[in-house]
Amino acid sequence: MAHPRWPSLLVSAAMLTAACLLVFFPQRSPAHQQTHRSTAPASTSKGKGLASSPISFIDIAKTAGIDFHLTCGDPEKRYIMESMCGGVAVLDYDNDGWMDIFLVDGSTLADQREGKCHTGKLYHNDHDGTFTDVTAKSGISHCGWGFGVAVGDYDNDGWEDLHVTYLDGAILYHNNHDGTFTDVTAKAGVGNIGRWGTSAAFGDYDNDGFLDLYVANYVDLDLQHLPEFGQGLFCQYRQIPVSCGPRGLKGGRDRLYHNNGDGTFTDVTEKLNIDPNSYYGLGVVWLDYDLDGCLDLYVSDDSTPSMLYHGDCKGGFTEVGVKAGVAYSADGREQAGMGVDSADYDNDGWPDIVKTNFSDDSNNLFHNDHTGEFTDLAGPADFGPVSIPFLGFGVKFLDIDNTGWKDLFVANGHVNPQVDQYSFGVTYAERPLLFRNLGKGKFEEIGFKSGSALAHRYVGRGAATADFFNEGREDLLVSVLDGPPLLLQNQSRKQGHWLRIKTVGTRSNRDGFGARVEVKAGGFTQVAEVRTNSSFESASDPRLHFGLGSANLVDAIVVHWPSGTMDRIGPQRTDQQLVIEEGKGVVTPQPMAPRTASSHAN
Amino acid sequence: MQRPRSSQHRSMSFVIRGIRTTSLLALSLTFALLARSQSENARASALIREGQGALDAGDFSRAIHDFENARQLAPDNADVNRGLVLSYLQAGRLADAQRIAESAVGRWPHDARLQHWLGLVYFKEGHNQNALQALQRSESLSPNGPDIHFDIALVYLAENQYPQAADELENAIKLNPNAALPHILLGRAYQNTNRTVKAIEQFRAALRADPNVPLGHYHVGFALASLGRDQEAIAEYQKEALRSPDNPSVLYQLGHCELATSEWQSAIMHLKKATQLDPKNADARYDLGKALLLEGDAAAAVLTLRQAAALKPESPEPHYLLARALEKIGDKEQSQHELQIFADLKKAQPATGGMATGPIQ
Repeated sequence: MAHPRWPSLLVSAAMLTAACLLVFFPQRSPAHQQTHRSTAPASTSKGKGLASSPISFIDIAKTAGIDFHLTCGDPEKRYIMESMCGGVAVLDYDNDGWMDIFLVDGSTLADQREGKCHTGKLYHNDHDGTFTDVTAKSGISHCGWGFGVAVGDYDNDGWEDLHVTYLDGAILYHNNHDGTFTDVTAKAGVGNIGRWGTSAAFGDYDNDGFLDLYVANYVDLDLQHLPEFGQGLFCQYRQIPVSCGPRGLKGGRDRLYHNNGDGTFTDVTEKLNIDPNSYYGLGVVWLDYDLDGCLDLYVSDDSTPSMLYHGDCKGGFTEVGVKAGVAYSADGREQAGMGVDSADYDNDGWPDIVKTNFSDDSNNLFHNDHTGEFTDLAGPADFGPVSIPFLGFGVKFLDIDNTGWKDLFVANGHVNPQVDQYSFGVTYAERPLLFRNLGKGKFEEIGFKSGSALAHRYVGRGAATADFFNEGREDLLVSVLDGPPLLLQNQSRKQGHWLRIKTVGTRSNRDGFGARVEVKAGGFTQVAEVRTNSSFESASDPRLHFGLGSANLVDAIVVHWPSGTMDRIGPQRTDQQLVIEEGKGVVTPQPMAPRTASSHAN
Repeated sequence: MQRPRSSQHRSMSFVIRGIRTTSLLALSLTFALLARSQSENARASALIREGQGALDAGDFSRAIHDFENARQLAPDNADVNRGLVLSYLQAGRLADAQRIAESAVGRWPHDARLQHWLGLVYFKEGHNQNALQALQRSESLSPNGPDIHFDIALVYLAENQYPQAADELENAIKLNPNAALPHILLGRAYQNTNRTVKAIEQFRAALRADPNVPLGHYHVGFALASLGRDQEAIAEYQKEALRSPDNPSVLYQLGHCELATSEWQSAIMHLKKATQLDPKNADARYDLGKALLLEGDAAAAVLTLRQAAALKPESPEPHYLLARALEKIGDKEQSQHELQIFADLKKAQPATGGMATGPIQ
């Protein structure tokens, strides 16, 4: 008997079914994959044209004497607080005209139990490209699990003070003018007691001449009853077990402390209806988005709507985030807001907002429409799509080549080291992103070709900008989870002229925080606001840095002080620092020395 | 007294004659039966060949006819039963296929092909657990057939068990790397388990194996888009659109990526066509409204977003965008109204996602 042949029939039967499945398989639209897009490996563009870019940063942390190691829980990151450390601060604590560094340290559960102390470290800028650890004699000695840091002269004595947030409260260090600090938390009443603070920021919201303080709180966490790793609905990432939260955990209500002007503060959170829903606060920036002369406040929240508080110039706020278009993504979805910053990136005279988000989602570039509303132009600006594979934390506007157009830096790094065990295309460590402002509302990502330090992968968190070497270039300081920080010296070859302005308030707060400064040069006007705190848990150089391109003369400067007064200043030389005092104008022009070999630690 | 010998002899002879007669009759009958059997077997064999030819030709009714007749002639013939099961299966007569297959599997429990086809019958009937059991029995009997792994994978895919499906498809591809479809399905399994980079490799392998594999470029584009590589995705979708210019899904995904890369005019063009071809696609209509708003045509955006909201009434997103579009055209009251709807719908949504939480799939 003949044996029949079957194979072709069998295959066709299966294929027939498969063809149907192809059509009817559920395949989500990318439009609805916002939270579960895979990410491209950070190395995809690594190494392209490293030598050809005129923009270059090198990491000099080690040679500069920064021997800090950020401790933040165990490497497995089984609990949410183990992923969120990393505050960095740039401040001139000794008023010598050079920016010093304070790095917040975290801790571990074991160290917490055993009482092992983590204090953070203060580094003095030695003016020669190196720094000296002066923590021991500084009086900065609080032991705890630290996160963010705010810098401001809260008592208007002309010396920068420090506010550090911890897992269970906060510490305010008063600057004693002699290189030491004193813990004045109890007296000041800004202890944020029992709360897990992340970012904090000083700003004078009622224009009474004293800096108030906003503290973003993340999650109310009980270390004795931590949620079990990987157990439950909100302890999964792409179906793998990870640390729990923030969803499923109780949010911590942010705090707003009003400065009483006598060294004490009053908690006005409830009175002013701040953060009534106790969203998961991570980033804070004070800005005057509607140019009414009163500070407003933008707070990025994780997994919940971000908030924009419009200051009414009478000491009150109205939350307008949804109406203004900055609470959600352009599609009305909650985002995992991390770091925030504000600057006028398109030089239209109005401050815009940048916010970093989780991987699988675009970072936001909220363009100020001058109508009280913002439009997220991250896509059209070529800032958003490239960010989708990255989990952004610290973010800063800066002018890397002094063109007069604000560029952008983003520190990236995932929160779940477990992703490295899977082929998601997501990696725990990620390279930072550096966006060059091309003008006309467009950016180009050039991090991969801006020096090997930026091409490497890190678990980046805090980020701050400063001209550490007083040479007219903006450098970067970035914290790295469970590792040493990056001190990224700007070595870009082609640099335009520049101007730096340090504000000194008299009727206004001494730092001049909130002052709006207009600089006219080379045929166009740039505007910037004075602040230190933004990014993620970090504080940057408070001196305003203006790139001027080929302009070799500043035509005019106008300073709008928070008090309402205005200083108009005539033509000035470029490539110098001006100290402008409220009501007096320029009090100290400081031409900068040309760059010397000694200014290079490397 | 002795009996006469002749009488005994006669009696014996009669018996012997009887036996001979019976034997001859039986032999004759046997020969006759054998002849008939040979004739029936020959007829059955012919029917099997004819049935197989009909199956090859896609004439399933004829195949059923042939195999049913063959089964009348040779009910215990395994090939006949296999052929009948396959014929019923291909003709879509699933109840008949199941009846014959179950009977045949009871008769030949170690027949891998019968187990396989019984599994396919169950699968087509939607009895996935039974299908999986039958297919796995087939796999245990004949583990080296690429088709069995492929078909088991289909069941897993239908059950949204993507990791298991991926394992089976990987096995299928090892045994037959040149078939395009397993690569496509493996890519889909990877994509749905967030292994997008590997998914792209598989989709590209499928296109290498068969440049005309259905929706091959579409799948590559989708995976690239989910990595945020929108420009590359657009290039793939454009290739697919050339092959399938009236496929609304392709046009929607193309428009969606163009929207993401701020190519608003192209996005509007493709999304308009997608919505014309598939008027009930709320996502395409939403994207079209978004593109119109970004392009500056707020009035048209309002109209389109209202349609999107009507198509997906439980979705808050269209109302959010609608509020912003209404604000742009100065209708603050309606804008506020839409924001309220947005807020109400938001409250009704379950809390998913977040910093350390991915989607619950």
